Amino acid sequence: MKPILECQGLTKKYNNFYALSNLNVTLERGQIVGLLGPNGSGKTTLIKLINGLLTPTNGHVMINSMAPGPETKKLVSYLPERSYLNDHMRVEEILSYFSDFYDDFDAGRAGIMLKDLEIDTRSRLRTLSKGTKEKVQLVLVMSRDAELYVLDEPIGGVDPAARDYILRTILTNYNENATILLSTHLITDIENVLDRVLFIQNGQLSLNTTVDEIRTNQGKSVDTLFREVFKC
Amino acid sequence: MLGKLIKYDLKYGVKIFGILHGILLTASILGRFLFVNKIDFNADPEIIFSSVSPFMALYVLLFTSVGLGVAALLCVRFYRNLFTDEGYLSWTLPATSVQQIWAKIISGTIWYVLNILITALSLIILVTGNNVTEAYAKIAPEMTNVLGVSLSRYSLIMLVFSLAGALSSVIMIYVCISIGQLFPGHRILGAILAYFILMVIIQVVVLGLMIIFNLFPGPYAATVVIEAEASHYMFAIFKLSGGITIVLTIVEYFIMHYILNKKLNLI
Amino acid sequence: MPWDLDNDRPIYLQLMERIQQDIIAGVYAPGDKLPSVRDLALDASVNPNTMQKALSELERSGLVYSQRTSGRFITEDETMLKKIKLDLASEHIRQFFEKMTLLGFKNQEILELVQETLEEDK
Repeated sequence: MKPILECQGLTKKYNNFYALSNLNVTLERGQIVGLLGPNGSGKTTLIKLINGLLTPTNGHVMINSMAPGPETKKLVSYLPERSYLNDHMRVEEILSYFSDFYDDFDAGRAGIMLKDLEIDTRSRLRTLSKGTKEKVQLVLVMSRDAELYVLDEPIGGVDPAARDYILRTILTNYNENATILLSTHLITDIENVLDRVLFIQNGQLSLNTTVDEIRTNQGKSVDTLFREVFKC
Repeated sequence: MLGKLIKYDLKYGVKIFGILHGILLTASILGRFLFVNKIDFNADPEIIFSSVSPFMALYVLLFTSVGLGVAALLCVRFYRNLFTDEGYLSWTLPATSVQQIWAKIISGTIWYVLNILITALSLIILVTGNNVTEAYAKIAPEMTNVLGVSLSRYSLIMLVFSLAGALSSVIMIYVCISIGQLFPGHRILGAILAYFILMVIIQVVVLGLMIIFNLFPGPYAATVVIEAEASHYMFAIFKLSGGITIVLTIVEYFIMHYILNKKLNLI
Repeated sequence: MPWDLDNDRPIYLQLMERIQQDIIAGVYAPGDKLPSVRDLALDASVNPNTMQKALSELERSGLVYSQRTSGRFITEDETMLKKIKLDLASEHIRQFFEKMTLLGFKNQEILELVQETLEEDK
């Protein structure tokens, strides 16, 4: 089977600043991958390139051997680090919006999750708190049967209880043929759910290994290693 | 996919559009029955003039505001849906950039055309009272002579011409916003600048072509514009600007296509 | 409730130990069916692939066996269970003695202390 994600010589330059420079990485199917790095290291740039929201300066990014386009967007379920929903819409309208545009969207699953979270589908988005909006977005994204989930800081802005719910949501909806790429700086919270970690530093990949390899070979947690590698 | 995109674009604007044009139609009906119908055209022309001119000014302002409102609706939808946070969803839908562009063009043109039609309807409501038509009948031959065609025919041509211009107006708005997004950090300023620069370019081109085709009024014009030929002159200008608009719209479309396809950079 | 896991040792090893512990403590009886990988992973709040690896390792050790279609079961081999239980016990005892030695006790003294504690408890 083709790898779900392949980056070759991927470079993105803003004016004179290299957000990513010559990044090479390949991700196979069926794993949960942590994209870790300090602020400004290039995590979000990589994620936007995967989703075709940025055009690379050099090199290329391939999803299932295709450059980002309508075909890859059918396969990728993307959670940005910001609110991307139209505030005037009601939750139920957004559900039908997703059903309209994504063939793999499971409205039933989304409905169950929203009910669990006690979110009224008739409420307009602008009446919901920031945390609740984030949950709505996560529910939408995880209710798709995608092949690649790209989650940018899914647990960044929420309280620890919500964090647990989000991690459970990710684990519950994860199917073994899909790959989840999630970026975060809260490593301790998610270390146990990761197969693999990618450390990204100054726009380059500095480590690509499994969590248990780090623990076996170095006798320390990913979090500890991260603090050593990215010591200020 | 295109149909779905258009559906949501139209859904977005339906409320604002409805309110704007509801106001317009209500104002026209009220104006007709509370004001226009009460004008006595046999009165002293000065008295008529002094009461009609503020009324006209008010309605010109109203029509212009509604038109600007529609343009603003298109600007906001295009900009917010494609270049702000909402763009993160729009551009990750399984649609091509061509579909995104055409959804916006078609939905925008629908709003624009509807606006023109409702504006025309409002005008008709305002001026079709018996007192107005009777008063007009007295000067109709004179007007027909000046315009070269009857007033109704002339109005119809104007309407068709505005409708044909809708598409190019819509694309013009979009291309300016697209150019604006090439300047991250100053996107709105960039769009406004793009609009003014584009306007200057158009004016220069029109002026140049008018001179070339001998249509420029003044010492360069070979044909002396006399009253009876005013309409011929107008139609010649229409043809010229129509031609320019078609070429310009095609160029603008490809600029927009290039930017959204190759230069899309959401920050 | 997520399982309590250390930060410095491979996760799959800790998952194996925890399941082993549960088997010996009688949470699962011999011959019982284990929950699915997904449910166990959710219960532990860990990656399903890691849970899968832990279960495969347990299978290799013979403590659990899988039946192609119906899932994984705890072994019914009582001698094996007993042996694992004894192995674990001696491991705990060894660790206990190590710690007491660090505190400066001799083996004989440790035994006496254990004896005393037992009698006090009665």
